[in-house]
Amino acid sequence: MLPLAAVISEPSLFSLEHLPRLPQRLVELLLGNFGAPEWLVSIAGFLVAAGTVVGVFLGGFALLSLIERKTLARIQNRIGPNRAGWFGILQPVADGIKMLTKEDIVPDKAEKFLHLLAPILIVVPAILALGVIPYGREWTPVSLELGLLFFFAVGSLTELSVFIAGWASGSKFPMLGAMRAISQMISYELPLIITALGVVMVSGTLSLPHIVEQQNGGFWHWNFFTPWGFFAGILFFICSIAEANRCPFDLPEGESEIVAGHMTEYSGFKYALFFMGEYLGLFAISALGITLFLGGWQAPLPGLGFVPTWIWFFGKLAFVIFLFLWIRGTYPRVRIDQLMRFAWLCMIPMALLTLPAAGVWHFTGRGLLSWVLVVPLLLVPWVIVGVIFNKRLAAATRTYTFADG
Amino acid sequence: MIPLLILAPLILLAAFGAVWMARPVHAALMLALTLALVAVLYLALGADFIGLVQFAVYVGAVAVLIVFSLLITRPGDEAEEIERRPRSLVTGLFCTLPVLAVLAYTAVFGSNIKLIPWQPKLSIAELGEMLFTSHAPAVLALAVLLTAVMIGAALFAREPDKPQDDSSEK
Repeated sequence: MLPLAAVISEPSLFSLEHLPRLPQRLVELLLGNFGAPEWLVSIAGFLVAAGTVVGVFLGGFALLSLIERKTLARIQNRIGPNRAGWFGILQPVADGIKMLTKEDIVPDKAEKFLHLLAPILIVVPAILALGVIPYGREWTPVSLELGLLFFFAVGSLTELSVFIAGWASGSKFPMLGAMRAISQMISYELPLIITALGVVMVSGTLSLPHIVEQQNGGFWHWNFFTPWGFFAGILFFICSIAEANRCPFDLPEGESEIVAGHMTEYSGFKYALFFMGEYLGLFAISALGITLFLGGWQAPLPGLGFVPTWIWFFGKLAFVIFLFLWIRGTYPRVRIDQLMRFAWLCMIPMALLTLPAAGVWHFTGRGLLSWVLVVPLLLVPWVIVGVIFNKRLAAATRTYTFADG
Repeated sequence: MIPLLILAPLILLAAFGAVWMARPVHAALMLALTLALVAVLYLALGADFIGLVQFAVYVGAVAVLIVFSLLITRPGDEAEEIERRPRSLVTGLFCTLPVLAVLAYTAVFGSNIKLIPWQPKLSIAELGEMLFTSHAPAVLALAVLLTAVMIGAALFAREPDKPQDDSSEK
């Protein structure tokens, strides 16, 4: 069979819905035509499919680094980067060239091998985590039965790599930054996983594509628009800000206090890798949040099925990322004791409450009765905790030791 | 068989490194590598759930806990550690040799070892059902234990109630 004939024999290949899988199918068909053995075809297909995901998100990373600066500039009433190219569109390219040509400095006291290993180890889990997300009806790079568990398992590697970065630098600021980062990540990983468990309870599966399929039929079927899912989704979002080390929880790299945290002693390409790992992690955690709470690739209204599903997914991703930027531009950084107290006294108990709420929602038939039962179950504790926290914060007025004498 | 042949030497090497490294942080990282490789072994054997849980719990939590506690304590002297090695080796061999002997004995002379069929597939739903029906008492006991540990940790972590005293700062 000629390559052309093989391509024509699969007409759905060229529809927009299948576009992200087109490179993989083309490579498989072409190799198959030239008589390559079965294992080679499947391995090449896998590599191209992985390359598609990595390529898309590296492009997204480059774009986001520009959009973030532009958005923050707008919020702060500035113009932002506008020199390189049209509206600064070439700024990521300029940044990339700058990063690649910078001198790579390894401190004298650093552990050379571990110092090199840390930036690599921080990118790998982010890319692995991106591999299990269902981006479209036809586009789940790796469809695992235990997708959610896989996501959290590889995500837990980030903590270790941050520790390695902080320790191997052989310097004080990275060490302090790493300690902050680890305590923050561990504290916020708990409520993150607990809120995700509510979705697992209601869906009855750990497979991410199945979780998305169960939210079909309009936005009112999405988990976020159920009473327990609304609260769990908000908690999940707050935790994901902390997990992604974004402002107002960017203490691990608080510039005004500890230079750049665990990245202080890194320069050039290694620093770029940290930067990349952070943004890929942000993409991954947002994509997971969309999958769990915002219906994944599902269209918001039933009549909108003609738009390819992956466009909906990336639209939602852009919206969630914008929320991250908006929050970064709005809130000041919290103190470390506020951060930890908030995690252990507020986030974890509230996250635990969403579990019985999800159970009640599931077993009372998901109708009017469930709304009546679940909403007070969650709202009352939220209001009580909110009042207590406000009072505590109001009572603890800061005393300035040297100014007040 | 092939994954085992590739992974087993690596696991042994990493475990040996965990014991041999003089610096506690290096040893802890080697331990993390060992645990991660064991997780890979589970995955290679088709036990996806236990492999991922091993990765999340042991590499993500236990190893991080170990390195974190290393950070907030003062580790011993390195040179002293290296000097102590010959004695440690004797003690270590004294502890491990009986275990190895028992294992070797069962492997060679044990007649009741059955070969498990390759890749026993158990879906996560079946696993969950088994855990919460036939093994429910064990799960409940664990839950009680962990709750007790949690309360104990919270009690330890609680700030002692004392009147606000800022005089030392000023």
